[in-house]
Amino acid sequence: MAIGAKDVAIVVLVIILVASWGYFLTIPPPTPVLKPLTDKDTLIVARDISDAVSLDPARAYEFTSCAAVNQLYDKLVDLRPPEYKETEPEIAESWTILPDKVTWEFKIRKGITFPDGTPINAETVKFSFDRFLKLEQMAAWVISQFEIKEIKVVDDYTLQIKLGYVVAPRLFLSCLAFTTGSIVNPKLIKEHEKAGDLASEWMTDHSAGSGPYILEKWDREVEIVFTANEKYWGKAPRIKKVVFKHYAEPTAQMLALKKGDVDIAWDLMSDQIEEVKGELGIKVIRVPSFFKDYLGMNVNATIDGKKTLGDNRVRDAIRYSIDYDAIFHRMKGTAIGLQTVIESGIPGYNPAMPYYRNVEKAKSLLAEAGYPNGFAVELISQPTVWWPDIATIVKSSLADVGITVNLRTVAAAEMYEIYRAQRHQLILAEWGADYSDPDNLAKAFADYTIKQLAYRNTWYDDYASDLTKKAAEELDTAKRLAMYDELTNYVLHNGPYAILYQGVYQYGVRTWVEGFYPDPTFFLMDFSAAYKEAVYG
Amino acid sequence: MGFLMDLRTYILRRLLLMVLVLFGVLVITFLLSHVVPADPIGAILGPQAPIDMVEKIRHEWGFDRPLYEQFVDYVWRVLHGDLGKSIRTNRSVTSDLMNYFPATIELATFSTFLAIVMGIPLGIISAMKKDKIPDHFARVFAISGISIPVYWLELVMLIVFYYQLGLLPGPGRLDPYMAYPPRVTGLLLIDSLLARRLDAFVNGLQHLIIPSFVLGMFGAAGIARMTRSSMLEVLKKEYVRTAKAKGLRERIVVTRHILRNALIPTVTVVGVTYGGLLEGSILTETILAWNGLGQYATGSFLYLDFMAVMGVTLFIAVIYSLMNLFVDILYAYLDPRIRYG
Repeated sequence: MAIGAKDVAIVVLVIILVASWGYFLTIPPPTPVLKPLTDKDTLIVARDISDAVSLDPARAYEFTSCAAVNQLYDKLVDLRPPEYKETEPEIAESWTILPDKVTWEFKIRKGITFPDGTPINAETVKFSFDRFLKLEQMAAWVISQFEIKEIKVVDDYTLQIKLGYVVAPRLFLSCLAFTTGSIVNPKLIKEHEKAGDLASEWMTDHSAGSGPYILEKWDREVEIVFTANEKYWGKAPRIKKVVFKHYAEPTAQMLALKKGDVDIAWDLMSDQIEEVKGELGIKVIRVPSFFKDYLGMNVNATIDGKKTLGDNRVRDAIRYSIDYDAIFHRMKGTAIGLQTVIESGIPGYNPAMPYYRNVEKAKSLLAEAGYPNGFAVELISQPTVWWPDIATIVKSSLADVGITVNLRTVAAAEMYEIYRAQRHQLILAEWGADYSDPDNLAKAFADYTIKQLAYRNTWYDDYASDLTKKAAEELDTAKRLAMYDELTNYVLHNGPYAILYQGVYQYGVRTWVEGFYPDPTFFLMDFSAAYKEAVYG
Repeated sequence: MGFLMDLRTYILRRLLLMVLVLFGVLVITFLLSHVVPADPIGAILGPQAPIDMVEKIRHEWGFDRPLYEQFVDYVWRVLHGDLGKSIRTNRSVTSDLMNYFPATIELATFSTFLAIVMGIPLGIISAMKKDKIPDHFARVFAISGISIPVYWLELVMLIVFYYQLGLLPGPGRLDPYMAYPPRVTGLLLIDSLLARRLDAFVNGLQHLIIPSFVLGMFGAAGIARMTRSSMLEVLKKEYVRTAKAKGLRERIVVTRHILRNALIPTVTVVGVTYGGLLEGSILTETILAWNGLGQYATGSFLYLDFMAVMGVTLFIAVIYSLMNLFVDILYAYLDPRIRYG
């Protein structure tokens, strides 16, 4: 067959294509050149803002909404950067607990106002608290859990709050620092009230606070824009405009960060952090979060006619069989060791980590409990992000000691239905502290009467539940911490959990951003201390 | 005249049928969302919400009532123009749709335009030079358009054109530092012109390039293939030979005799493509930070936000049905042999 012009043309074309592809492969990536700082007054944060529902402090309960609310409002007390460790005065200057032990008296700071000039006093605080108690939304429970009996204005700058029972100081104070406790402007509320909703609809996307920033606008799934409150009673923020820009895809956030189009990338995953780490102009800021991932074991679940997980030896065996190292390896720097229920960063943190992978020990425990040949069990997990990998690691770890795991992957909407109805056997889940106090975690993990995790896993343990209640009421800090020490150790060895790790938040940040201290929760983040300064090298 | 009279009856009949179809869509969607073993309130409130709060909110929203009661209540409301409230966003589904749809309209329009601009010429060339190199090239392009994953191509274009070469802007409808013009229609380009913001108009156009090119490529494939095959059909026809025999110039033959007839089936494909794009494209919207209908729809489905799910489904069903109706009428207008009624 004669070779025609067409065949030659095709061959030439293919050669050209392959050659250009080869050439393209040899082009080095653009030399990182330190981009000049163009705008010192605007801070752009790339984040997936689609979770925000309302910026009304009485309603805000999602990551983005709470982070936004915290820029716009002040509270009686606050936890501040860089460490976010202790509660500090904000609108309240000082406080005491009265002799009846349930009434708190707050002295309100004098001479401070909202940006429109409306003064802030005890009446204002009472108004704000009454408002969120009346609206009774999800977020309110953080403070209403103390069964507030009365809020009384004693004089212009003195306010008394009477609780339903004795509460440990740090516990109450850290709850007051939650976004629900924000002080709102009564004048604006009354102006925009509609049909008795206490201006809740208007407050969805408007701000009525005294905080360092004012809400300029919220364009759903596009951006949230904050402008500096020039009349702020505290230290005025250096950044004049903060923008939460919506980027749903972490890779897109990373590219924008590398280009210098955004200053902070909030949602980068470990792969992207690996890529930007050490790149000229970018730094990675890590902070241990208040989230932990764990394996839940349903104590009352019937497996083959027996309540297998009801025997603590079986639960211990599971705790001794998990390959924690493999999990850490998979989480690539976004996990730190934790086996007790109170995270590092919260008082009451217990660093004990007695469990490690010991197949022999696990097997002997199982034999002791009457399962020398193991058993079959169902593990429920989600199909997103890292869960499938963790589930696989758990499955193979347990297989080595004779436990056959049937993995069932379900979407979040279905999983929590099953979990709340106590219909699971094993489950992989996550829990984050709502406020910076050990009670939050103790209640969830140890007190079944609260109907959270201990309840979901049918661990009806009265000792743990009573100890939790007592520790919440203990006014002496040292005694209180000792109780949490006892409680955490008890849950560690007897509870229905295998705590896998504590999460770490990692942020990609341009080096010209200073004063940015991310917080371990999602609602204490404070941008007012941040500023931008050109840094060379 | 007769044509117009028949057309009116035809349209009326189609609209009535549409109502029936929409009702069927509602019933099916309602049943399906309630059959799935998931709890939207629990999911939306989050895994840490206490059980009593979940029950309380469920009661507040009326989701603990018997199914038929919820359905009747819903249909009654829809007939009064109320699509209910989204549990996730806490706003009326109607305002949510008005918020997200304009971005999708812009993207869908540009993508379809590019799909036509790329697809029809390719189809014509393919047909005219059948089995020669341009035909092969066009077919490879068409298959790539359908096979290459949209999200992959978009990420690659972002990396190459945005990050490495700096020729095109990144995700979002405008550059991060640029302020949006005041919202009048929600269509960014129109709003920029209305506010005399030429910078936003130009920037907005630039931001449209990557998503509409990629989505356009996807649409171009179908359009090219349909154009090619229908042109080949027409090329075989008697009247084409007659036209050529009459000595008419190639261009007149192609445009007046061939194209006009060959493009008729293509109209259907264009309509279907446009209708499909109007539903929103979740992958594109996620990667390129486009606040369109896809994001809203997907979020609602994943959380089983009943009201939003029903509202979105109804909305898309209406758009699709209207698009189909429009295409059918256009068809009748273009092809005198087709008559309805």
